[in-house]
Order: sequence, then C-alpha cells, then structure tokens
Amino acid sequence: MSWTLLRGTLHQRRASIFWFCIGLVLYSWLMTWFYPKIGGGRYAEMIQSLPPEVLVIFGGTEVPFASLGGYFQTEYLGLMWMIIVAAAVVLFAGRAFSGEVGAGTMELLLAQPISRLQLALTRVAAFVGYTVVLSAASFVPIQAFGPAYGIELGAKTFWTLFAFGTLFMLAVGGLAMLLSAVFRDSGRPSGIAAGLLVVFWIADLVSSVSKAARFFDPINLVSYWQPGKIINGESISPRAWWIYGLVGALSLAAAVVLFRRRDVA
Amino acid sequence: MDAISTRGLSKYYGKTRGVEDVSLSVPGGAVYGFLGPNGSGKTTTIRCLLGMLRPTAGEATVLGHQVTLDGAELRRRVGYVAGEVHLYERETGRWHLDYVAGFRGGRGTLTDDLVERFDFDPSKRVKELSKGNKQKLALILGMAHDPELLILDEPTSGLDPLNQEAVYGVIDERIAAGRTVFLSSHVLSEVERVCERVGIVRSGHLVAEENVRDLLGKRLRQVEVRFAETVAPSFLADLPGVDSVTALSEVVLAARVKGGAIDMVLKRLAGRAVTDITIEQAGLEDVFLEFYRGDEPANPPAPVAGEGSEGPGSVTSHRGGAL
Repeated sequence: MSWTLLRGTLHQRRASIFWFCIGLVLYSWLMTWFYPKIGGGRYAEMIQSLPPEVLVIFGGTEVPFASLGGYFQTEYLGLMWMIIVAAAVVLFAGRAFSGEVGAGTMELLLAQPISRLQLALTRVAAFVGYTVVLSAASFVPIQAFGPAYGIELGAKTFWTLFAFGTLFMLAVGGLAMLLSAVFRDSGRPSGIAAGLLVVFWIADLVSSVSKAARFFDPINLVSYWQPGKIINGESISPRAWWIYGLVGALSLAAAVVLFRRRDVA
Repeated sequence: MDAISTRGLSKYYGKTRGVEDVSLSVPGGAVYGFLGPNGSGKTTTIRCLLGMLRPTAGEATVLGHQVTLDGAELRRRVGYVAGEVHLYERETGRWHLDYVAGFRGGRGTLTDDLVERFDFDPSKRVKELSKGNKQKLALILGMAHDPELLILDEPTSGLDPLNQEAVYGVIDERIAAGRTVFLSSHVLSEVERVCERVGIVRSGHLVAEENVRDLLGKRLRQVEVRFAETVAPSFLADLPGVDSVTALSEVVLAARVKGGAIDMVLKRLAGRAVTDITIEQAGLEDVFLEFYRGDEPANPPAPVAGEGSEGPGSVTSHRGGAL
C-alpha cells in the first residue's frame, strides 16, 4: 500500500467526505432528537393512518412500526440513509480507477514508481476507510446523543449496526469499484451501480406486496438491509451477513485483478 | 546498451490499429526523435513503453528490463511528460510537486532549478494556470528527479519560444550528464534542433530510422535566381535533381533542388550574369513530407487520447515547421 497515494486520495476527496459526513451526523442527530416528539404510541397512530403501500416504500416491513427500530428504519435508515450512503460510496468507488483514467490523471500516477497492485490495494483501503467513517458518522450520533432523548442502544446493538452498515456500504461500493476497474469514465460505473440499486429497491418493493417477485430476494442487497431489527435487539439472518461480506470482498478483489490487467490510457 | 528497444511491437484497439510491428532501438545517452503527424501512433508506442497499454504483439525493453504493466521499479528510473497534460485541477503546483516527491522518496534534485528556469509559480491551483503553465508543471514533474531516461511526448506544446528554448537547454544538459531522451514530436524544427537520431512513424508503422544529419543531407533547397538578362525555365529544367522550375518574371527563375544537385546548379549559373541569388534551405519538414507522399494505407491508426484526431491523410504543413 502507498501512504502517499492514500493521503492524496483522501485529500482529493476531502470536500465530498466532509459534506457527506456532516450530513449524516446532522441527519442522525435530528432523527434521534425527533424520536421523543413523535416516537412511541403517537408514532404508531400516525403510521397506521398511512396506506400499507406507502409504508413498504420506507422499508418498514419486517419490524413493528411502533418500536424504536421501526421508527429508525421507516423514518431514516430504511430509505433516506440508504440513498445518502449509496450516493457517497458509489461516487467514491465509481471514480477509483475509471475516474482517473477518464480525467487523464492516471497517466501521471502510473508514471510514478507505484505498481498497479499497490495502487489498486490503496484505493480499496481508502474506500474501506471511507465506509467506516460513514458508519461512524451515521451511528455514533445515535449512540452519543440517544441517552439525552431516551434512546439506549447498548454496545452490542451499536457495534452490530455499525458492522452491518459498513458491510452494506462495502457491498454496494464494491460493485461500483468493480465497474470502475472496467470502464474508462466515472459516469458509467456510478450510473450502472446506482441503477442496480434502484432495481434492487423496486424488486424489494414489489416482493413486499407480491410473492411472484420474491425470486429476486436471495441476491437483493436492499432486501437484506433490516437495521430496525438490530436496533430492536433481534438477530439478522446469517445469510445477510454472508451476502454483504461476499459481494463486497469478491467485487473488490475482482476490481484489483481487473485493474492490474487493463489498459489505462 | 540500448535504452529502449522494441521488437514487432503492435497495439490494436479492437480491430483498429494503433501501431503495428514497430521495431526500434534508442541508444543510451542520445536524443531520439520520434516523428510523425497526429494520430500516427507515437503516443500509443510511448504508452506501451511505459506499461500503460498492453501490447497486442511484440515486446519492448526499457533500460534493460522487459516492460510489464506492473513495472514500478522501472518507472523509478524513467521520467515521462505526457503529450496532453492532465493534472488535478483543484490542487496547486506545490501539491503536485510534493505528491510526486512522495512516490519517489523525496524531492527531485532538479526541482528548484526547473521551477526557476521555467519561471513557474507553484502556489497557484492548476485550474488557474494557463495551458503553457500546466505544460511547465508537467515538465517539472517529469524531469525533476533527473531520470536515466526521459520520455517526452510533444514537450513544448503550448510553450512560448523562450520556454521552448529552456526545455531544449535542459535536454542538452541531461544528455551531457549521460541521460537518454526519447522525444516524440511533430515539430520538425524541434527534432532538428535537439535530436541525433530520428524514427519516422507513419500510419502506425515505423517507416524510417536514420541519423538526423543523414536525413538533412537529403533535404531540398528552394533556389531563386535573378539574372541580368532574360532566361527561359529550360535553362535549369534539364538538370537532374532539379524540378518545379518556374519563371517568376523574365529575369527571375525559381526551382526546387534536391540534395547534391545544388553543385550542378551553381556550375550552370556560373555561365550567366547573375544579379542576385537566394538559396532557402528547406528543413526536415520537406524530408519528412517525402515519407508521407503516396497512397495512404486503407486502415489508418486509431486516434488516441493525447494524439489529435487528424489522421495521416490530412497532413498539413505549417511555416513553423509543425506537421
């Protein structure tokens, strides 16, 4: 791994890293602060007045809406959080290789004494670090500010949420990085990865109201995302951990292999 | 030992040819000019030499090592200035210098000298720099660590004559210090000024490899003679090696004279009263154009980033000596 490249990568992405993190911290704090005002019984009453199809859109399908987990999943983590972190990781990972190839700066980089393996592994390391920072920006405010608003997650719940959220981002961003190792510009990898996520989300939506669409569930990254269960102290299916872990690890490994073999100019 | 040698180097982009069967050798300690119009395959060849592109066939050796896509250690000994400069727009020149120094284990020994000679201000962001200043930064980044081999792809593009001369000065000094320079260019005066040996690439093929001095020996001269009395064009037209004889007036003839035919022309003129004579030495450009006359191949090379989209069929000649 190259520390110079790692520092350079993070330096060049400093603005987007800063704004995404600030956004997540503020959003998480806002949702935590908001919980005592609308959570609990009043929240359940409000939710029950909504059509079931609308609730499905917000990801509230597998957890009771009146619970803490149901609140966070429906109001934040089940949709808005997914959109924010997906945008962050897809943009970051989608530019990892193809962004520099398209911009022409890869030529400057590969004129330096750094191997492609070093370069690729450093970019993967930067991405993994970014997902950890995004998870921290998402979940630390809930853990830190929660007690002031009557929310006690507990250490185990917090770390499980942290790890599961990081794995989700690695899986989504890993796909974008894999595409980035193949294409010549950053637009297409990000676009295709984002499109894939939308397809996952629509498939999840349809499968919630129609059994006919459930054939897609075993590989649907969105369907496995059930943070409300973790917050409520329930366990997540081992398959979800495996799917996220495997998709993330395999796509990142494939990105490294493909980048080492491709033409970069 | 050759600093660069290629054998049967070919690169296809799908079915489109970039370069084909290029075999060249660049002796160590020399300046080698790689000459060809936009789109002829110069940049493709360079990118194969640097391991940025995987050759479809053939092989390349640089500084005694076979080129591979992962050749990090080889690149430590090579400096490269790309033809089309792409830098990180939001970062400053200083940031770029530090970034490259980080990869190379410290600041290049020539950094301060080059910054001063090019009169470059490293405190500005790249997006605030003119094309010429971006080119200066690219040159400093490529040359600062005093590499054994400098690969320069159209290095003076966008530079004013003063800075062009500064680049030539640096090249001269590096050669004096025992370094090797591989200079890709379509600026003939540049090649004539700094190169000892030249390879001419046409439609992806290396069509000639000669010493610049030998090439210049073959050059054409444009002769214009003012006589004291009326002379017909036939007075010079029958000489071998003389063509395009035209009467500019009753007493002025103009002709194109190839290589050694100038001796016969002068001897013929000695028999007449001449009031004025102008012999304009055509540059390498005319020699170069000789290689581009005739039918073009049916499958022109793919224009690649860094090379213009102008294909060999649209070679144009400019007074400045660029093609």
